[in-house]
Amino acid sequence: MATVESGILLERPMPYCPGCGHTVVNKQLDQVVRELGISPLDVIVVSDIGCCGLVDGVLGCHTVHGLHGRSTALAVGISLGLQNPSKKVIVVLGDGGATIGLQHILEAARQNVDMTVIVQDNMVYGMTGGQVSGLTPESLKQDRLPEEEQVPAFDLVQLAHTAGAVFSARVVVGAGVKEVLREAVETPGFSLVEIVEMCPSYGIRKVKELKEVMPYPEVVLRQTRPIRRVQFQQKASLLESITAIPVQFNHRLEQRLHVLIAGSAGEGIQSAGELLASAAMAAGLYSTKKGEYPITVGTGFSVAEVILSPTPIHYTGIETPDVAIVVSADGWNKIQSRLSASTRLIVDESLAVDKKQPMVRVDFRGAVGGRSAALAAIAFWLQQEEWFPLEALRLVSRNRKYAAALEAAIAKGQQLSPVG
Amino acid sequence: MKNKPERRGLIDGSRLIIESLARAGADVYVGYPITPSNWLYAYARQRFPLFLPAPDEITALQWAAGFSATGRFPVTATSFPGFALMLESVNMAYMMELPMVIILAQRMGPSTGSATTGAQGDVLLLRGAISGGYPLPVFCPSNLEDCWKLSAEAMRMALTVRTPVVLLTSKEMVMTHHSFDLSCLPAIRTLPRETFKGNGEYLPYAAAPAEAPPFLPVGNPHHQVRLNASTHDATGLIRKATPEALSNTRRLRDKIDHHIKEFTHLEYDPAPGASVLIVSYGISSEAAREAVQKLRTSGKAISLLIIKTLLPVPTAVFDILQKYPRVVIVEENLTGLLRELFFGQVSRPEIRGVNRIGALITPSEIVQEVESWQQ
Ligand code: SF4
Ligand SMILES: [Mg+2]
Repeated sequence: MATVESGILLERPMPYCPGCGHTVVNKQLDQVVRELGISPLDVIVVSDIGCCGLVDGVLGCHTVHGLHGRSTALAVGISLGLQNPSKKVIVVLGDGGATIGLQHILEAARQNVDMTVIVQDNMVYGMTGGQVSGLTPESLKQDRLPEEEQVPAFDLVQLAHTAGAVFSARVVVGAGVKEVLREAVETPGFSLVEIVEMCPSYGIRKVKELKEVMPYPEVVLRQTRPIRRVQFQQKASLLESITAIPVQFNHRLEQRLHVLIAGSAGEGIQSAGELLASAAMAAGLYSTKKGEYPITVGTGFSVAEVILSPTPIHYTGIETPDVAIVVSADGWNKIQSRLSASTRLIVDESLAVDKKQPMVRVDFRGAVGGRSAALAAIAFWLQQEEWFPLEALRLVSRNRKYAAALEAAIAKGQQLSPVG
Repeated sequence: MKNKPERRGLIDGSRLIIESLARAGADVYVGYPITPSNWLYAYARQRFPLFLPAPDEITALQWAAGFSATGRFPVTATSFPGFALMLESVNMAYMMELPMVIILAQRMGPSTGSATTGAQGDVLLLRGAISGGYPLPVFCPSNLEDCWKLSAEAMRMALTVRTPVVLLTSKEMVMTHHSFDLSCLPAIRTLPRETFKGNGEYLPYAAAPAEAPPFLPVGNPHHQVRLNASTHDATGLIRKATPEALSNTRRLRDKIDHHIKEFTHLEYDPAPGASVLIVSYGISSEAAREAVQKLRTSGKAISLLIIKTLLPVPTAVFDILQKYPRVVIVEENLTGLLRELFFGQVSRPEIRGVNRIGALITPSEIVQEVESWQQ
């Protein structure tokens, strides 16, 4: 059984090149955990890809080894899932992981999730052969990527602070690391420590040189902010909030009726279609309502395809519309090609349509305005064809937002007469 | 069931999917908005014990995996552009053996395609989603009842074999309203997340053959847990291709193949003497059902197979396919993806497809295809 005394570091050889900064830092982290009296099983180390990610094998605490750059995001899920301030979630990643996963770091800092991110910054990609990362200083690019010599490194510590980290610090590998790590681990909320390290194989070999090339100085930035906490709360069933529509009227439909309602986006076409489908249910019919609209919600066409049927409906598309109710030019342009000779057409009188096609033209827009035209047209059509009582449409409109406006549109639609 | 009084309402598939998952015990939804999955997002906001908006889909899947590692059950919903971002993380969760449900509401591609146009274009992507071709379970609802039943079933499979599971749907399934009798919906029981109960040693990936290992949450005070996205042995530590690590990797396939039979959901409606089988799945299923009804009314013997457990393809599907000299596969994509999955790319006269992009396939198209063939 792991105890506080046993620490998080197992007695195993370190998996790094001789002289690697990771070895030094891991030992210091182990000491910090012991000194803080934290049991190894209260520590979850989430490691990234790269040499630093080899740390799992020498740790006796919980370890999670994920993807390149994503360790911070994975750790956010773990920290929020645990919701336990006595558990220490610690991310170990390199400067490469911090580069590819920068968004995750900023987001975790912004939310101030309770965790510590240790960036083992040797200023190059070690595992893949010393390529430059977002944290590589200009001077290290001279022989690796001279064309980017003018491009500075990110100041990760400042970025994390600006994003909202309560503790963020940069420290060069050495005796000072422990104290900084200790404060980071102890501080509730999001903390980040960038440890500037040597990588004898591909980067800087000596501590003295680190101090010469590191692009930003050692620093500690602190601030106080509320910590992100979450709560799991039981909520009401989504089925309870459905308005039950009992059958209260008769209908005289013997076969399926396919209705297109076409108009402009933002003019209540979809909700008018939904009201028609609901009203049909109140008259004992089966119904479906499918919407078609462009990607933007507030411009262009909007078409509601409504099927009313005395028998169950499987296919919810409309091959040939029996009825088309068109209240704007956007709608007309969209559905024109779908009409057949048998389609009964009810259109707003403002539309410049081919008058040779038989149709009923009514001044819906003039009478009730664009936003209510579709519902008024539905009321007008129902009044004409009498598939079920108009009262059904009134009934389902009653519990809605803007019930009075809906009621007025229905009343008006009922009274309108065709022009010409 | 049917002695409950009728309670009819006008509802959509998104509502049933989210409610079903919440009742089955899914407790955290991590989402990033994308059409046509927005209703799922909105319902989850109302219903899930915890709802978190992620800043992008990679983050969404990573947060979800983190929650799963602590014993929570996460759900997310997206469509192709978001799923593409999630893909590496789905592989991670698959390798770590972290259960979750990913709802993939298909829209027309390629790329961002048309956000408000449905499609069935992602089945081969899912078949190849896990590097190495390992099976990722995919359930595909064909109607509202399926939205209810298969969502909980997807979660049950995710828990049983400890894996991400995809619920594959499409715009028309999650954004169309239907009159529906809610009293028909069977009860959904809360699914427990079983944990390791032994007293002795715990190895996070020590599992019986063709099974998932017993689960313990990270952070538990009794046993060290190691999760690993890289090739690993029973201890959860990274290993190159050692025999033990390879056998652990093979187990990832075996556990799913072994269990898929208990999660096989098909609607097989054979007609006596039929030589033609119409096969469909997802949003084209209802057109196929209507087409079969019409063909039968006009005196033709036609059989129908609606596939609801889409991947890995249950052996029962191949057993049925083998019975028919002629097969028509109906799906809303240009090239016949399921057809290719079943029969390859070589065209065969006895295999036909009814395909289109940009709109639902109509029952008449299917009827015409079958009638033209029979002459
Ligand atoms: S390559 Fe560099 S970072 Fe990697 S182990 Fe060796 S010294 Fe350390
Ligand atoms: Mg590095």
